[in-house]
Amino acid sequence: MYRMLLRKLLEAFVTLFCATLIIFALIRLAPGDPVQLLLGHPGEAALSDKQAFNDRAAGLRAQLGLDQSMIKQYTAWIHNLVQLDLGTSIHTGRAVSAEIVARLPATAMLSAAALLIQAVLGLFFGTVSALKAGKSYDNAIRLACVALASTPAFVIGLFLLSLFAVTLGAYEISSEAGLSRLWLPALTLGLIGAPQLIRMVRANMLSEFGRIYVLSALSRGLSRERVVKHALRNALLPVITMIALSLTSLISGAVVIESIFSWPGIGKYALDSILLKDYPVIQGYALVMVSLVILIHLCVDVVYALIDPRIHRKREAGAEEHV
Amino acid sequence: MSNANHPVSLVSGIVVLGLLAILILGAPFLAPYDPVKQNVTERLEKPSMEHPLGTDRFGRDVLSRTLHGGQTTLISSVVALCAALIIGLFVGLTAGMFHGSIIDIILMRLIDVLLSFPFMVLAMVIAALFGTSLSHLLLAVVAVWWVSFARLTRSVVLHAKNETSFAAARVLGATNGAIIFKELLPKAISPVLILATFELGSLILSIAALSFLGLGSQPPAPEWGSMLADGRDHFMQAPHILIGPALFIFLTVLAFNLIGEGLRDRLDPYEKTEL
Amino acid sequence: MFAARYFGEDTSIMVKKEIETMLQVTNLQVAYKQGRQSVSVLDNLSFGLRQGEILALLGESGSGKSTIAKAVTGLLPPSAHIGGGTMHIGSTLRVDMAVGKGRGKGRGIQWERIRGRGVAMLFQDAQQALNPVLKIGAHFRESLLFHRLASPDEVVPISIRLLSLLGFTDGERILECYPFQLSGGMCQRVCLALALCLKPSVLIADEPTSALDTVSQKEVLDLLKRTQKELGLTVLLITHDIAVANAVSDRVIVLNKGAIEEEGDTRTVFSKPRAAYTRQLLSSRSQIAKPSRERESAHSREPLLEITGLEKTFDGKKRVLHDVNLTLNRKEILGILGGSGSGKSTLARCITGLESPEGGHVIYRGTDICRLRGKGKRGLCKHIQMVFQDARASLNAGRTAMQLVQEPLQYMHIGNKEERETLASFYLHEVGITGDLLKRRPPQLSTGQCQRIAIARALVLRPEVLICDEAVSALDMSVQAQILALLQRLHKQFGFSILMISHDIRVLRSFCHHIAVMNNGSFSEVKRASALLHESKQSYTQLLLKCAGDMEEGLY
Repeated sequence: MYRMLLRKLLEAFVTLFCATLIIFALIRLAPGDPVQLLLGHPGEAALSDKQAFNDRAAGLRAQLGLDQSMIKQYTAWIHNLVQLDLGTSIHTGRAVSAEIVARLPATAMLSAAALLIQAVLGLFFGTVSALKAGKSYDNAIRLACVALASTPAFVIGLFLLSLFAVTLGAYEISSEAGLSRLWLPALTLGLIGAPQLIRMVRANMLSEFGRIYVLSALSRGLSRERVVKHALRNALLPVITMIALSLTSLISGAVVIESIFSWPGIGKYALDSILLKDYPVIQGYALVMVSLVILIHLCVDVVYALIDPRIHRKREAGAEEHV
Repeated sequence: MSNANHPVSLVSGIVVLGLLAILILGAPFLAPYDPVKQNVTERLEKPSMEHPLGTDRFGRDVLSRTLHGGQTTLISSVVALCAALIIGLFVGLTAGMFHGSIIDIILMRLIDVLLSFPFMVLAMVIAALFGTSLSHLLLAVVAVWWVSFARLTRSVVLHAKNETSFAAARVLGATNGAIIFKELLPKAISPVLILATFELGSLILSIAALSFLGLGSQPPAPEWGSMLADGRDHFMQAPHILIGPALFIFLTVLAFNLIGEGLRDRLDPYEKTEL
Repeated sequence: MFAARYFGEDTSIMVKKEIETMLQVTNLQVAYKQGRQSVSVLDNLSFGLRQGEILALLGESGSGKSTIAKAVTGLLPPSAHIGGGTMHIGSTLRVDMAVGKGRGKGRGIQWERIRGRGVAMLFQDAQQALNPVLKIGAHFRESLLFHRLASPDEVVPISIRLLSLLGFTDGERILECYPFQLSGGMCQRVCLALALCLKPSVLIADEPTSALDTVSQKEVLDLLKRTQKELGLTVLLITHDIAVANAVSDRVIVLNKGAIEEEGDTRTVFSKPRAAYTRQLLSSRSQIAKPSRERESAHSREPLLEITGLEKTFDGKKRVLHDVNLTLNRKEILGILGGSGSGKSTLARCITGLESPEGGHVIYRGTDICRLRGKGKRGLCKHIQMVFQDARASLNAGRTAMQLVQEPLQYMHIGNKEERETLASFYLHEVGITGDLLKRRPPQLSTGQCQRIAIARALVLRPEVLICDEAVSALDMSVQAQILALLQRLHKQFGFSILMISHDIRVLRSFCHHIAVMNNGSFSEVKRASALLHESKQSYTQLLLKCAGDMEEGLY
């Protein structure tokens, strides 16, 4: 058991290490000289300033450690990362880590609320759909799922925004995070993730209905509601994993929603920074996101390892089968 | 919604896709206006008889631009997804075939690393560092999208390896190549194709979202993504600009999702168990 | 009275009013939808079940016997259509089966009131019949409380009493177990206890022991018989196995293609069968079990395959094979007998190179085939071939019989196209697949025909060793007899050695020269087949023989 946990932890670290390598490589592979990007193009400087420009560039190069070997640069970068130093923003001059930490609660709040909405929708409609399989309720839910899953996220966002903010006047647009303004972006984000969950709950329930223990429970004269509970309990395990894993897609999917609703989360911050060409912020954003995803995966693995190992293995194998 | 006897969703998906294909491929003949011809006198006009979907900020007809724009979007998405699919099949077959070996371990680790990069995040980093364009986005697609195909293929292969027919082929002296092409690939191909139809839908949606954020192809190209970016800039004055590309994206994704659902119902006609 | 001890003072439910017939099914018609067609499975079937008897429904696959069980408990799949029929349970309850036409589940019938108390059911795969995430205790608690048969504090004592009735001495521990922690036989006993705790009027047992090995099969059947006697249960036993029907039933109904061939007292039916179909079933069975005479000296003493000290573990922990030693002579038919989990299939996989053992040698004609790699290992298939249990699954569904048999020739690059076709049709002809059948694909063929193709496919490379891994276990008795006869003929004709792996002592005793008994990953003994019964000193072999012998008592 502890060996298993230790292995998972080690794997997570290896993954994180590889991820930092990829981010580092991406930055180095990027066309153009980072110094030039920071200082602007030398051609734009006046001729007399050429010398001064080159001096400044060389100074900056030394300051950023760009004159050293790749390995040294990487270790220096990692060294800073370990100390939670993600560099400073070019635009504001403040520490990137502080900027991200300041915006993390807004994104966390939005994702958590969306997760809740999505889970409730998924479990409820998924179960109803499975219970009414082949009937009109089921068909309506499936059709709605397909339609919703085919609608671009920003269309849903803009539609709900114009409906509630403009037509009904029930929602006030503002760039501040607050519980009173949380519900609409959270609803939007939850709606976007719901179809996949509904589909999965339905498929899992139906496959459980076909199992012998369900027939056996029926043959013992238990009522329909009872037997559904049996099936639900078995169908839920992979669904819970899926809900946990969908947190990762929610955090990254929040970018569009945060942008539409002017929600001051890290997604919007990163997006603004891209337009401002604020590279340290983008780098920091990517690192934080990747670490979060790895952490979520690790947590799911650990929780699963704590649950009966046999169920764990069986369910994992089953979950992968679902296309 | 459909079962093996009444493939409603499959048929309707194919019909929608067929109509879209006719509209998009026939754009040069069907589009009422030249997609790039500007008309400064008719800027940001609301939908009317002359311009069913209105005009954009240069007075270009949105409908014509939407019809013409589909080609780039669809063809590039399909090509990127096919590339991802082929890589995924190859990686999945290799990892599954040599399950437990060092190759499998390395490939699975690589997959884990890529799984920790949400596509949106990677696309944003690439857009920031390499500049915003559709080709960069598609590159990012190929870089990470093969993972889902690889995982699916691998699990299909691992299941197939436990089946009697696999052992039988081995005992009959089949080479690795013969086993891959005769036993494993045929089993993997249909689930992978079903996944591909769904993934194509979500790929188009992702690209649309990124384009909407201004991280995809840039105006003035007649391409759905850039039209979305354009539309966002003028959303307050003229929300109708978004309708054309958004509607077409919706219909395209809908068609692929319907086909995917229909194919899935056909592939595993699990007996619906009533309680 | 015995029942009083286990159910407390109240025995009134157990000693029911004297009723002649506990379950009467009249004119039952069931059809399955297949695509647009409707295939009739049961046609106007009627039978009655007297109180306190065990009635066996005996039939081969496709006879509709399981459909009866599902129809009576209302568990038919939606594709089934009940055309008509009525069911009487006890003297009071009358059920019109065709209520809710078009719906397999028989909507409108309040099954919840029938199932459990009226008819209870045992399933073939008992382990699957228990909810994997619930402890055994929770199953009892739910059943007893739901039917209001006990108060919450009575649940545990009642469950433990029932479990002890079914031979569990450690009831408390069992109640705390999850189903996966119990063996198949134990699960079936738990299921029986679960069914009994509702005191059903009729117990339907659908192939309750088919998934179990000989020893636990005997154990479960004995318990079923004993509890039935003591509690006066009425049991409908559905089985394909004549021995099972013979061992426990009072009366037997022989079912063929949805119609009753013969009905009567078990002893009478099996000793003086009237219907031709029953005679055929019995004769194919005795054909399997009857030792043939001429085999004794048919093989030479020249060793062909020598296995020494073979070791194999799974996941580095679980030991599957331990110090396995075995010699297979030229033209010999050697049987390997073992229960589930004895490691006999792993041995077969090691010999064919599907698994690599950790230690020991498999010497074939002087070379250790475990050490072969790449081409050499692949070349082995010309010498050692294998036939699998599930013939249909071993054949690629997309190819015709002709194509399937040519496959190994293509892999080995033998002959050109015409030569391959000639060879394939020759061997297919030898196994009795001719004419129109050559162009059919596995889904359009019967299981027996699939196994014939698999045999032809194994023989087309002219191997010296043919391994049959439970090759006949999944087949109906009559088909089993045909395939065994076929193998015997081919063995005489082509002179290969056969390694016959089976859990069924009857098959091996009649078919093999020698039998090696495998238990817990190693051989306990190797004996001449005919001498196994008298000479065996090993307790495990004795136990196997006794179990098989008891069940067959009075059959021949």
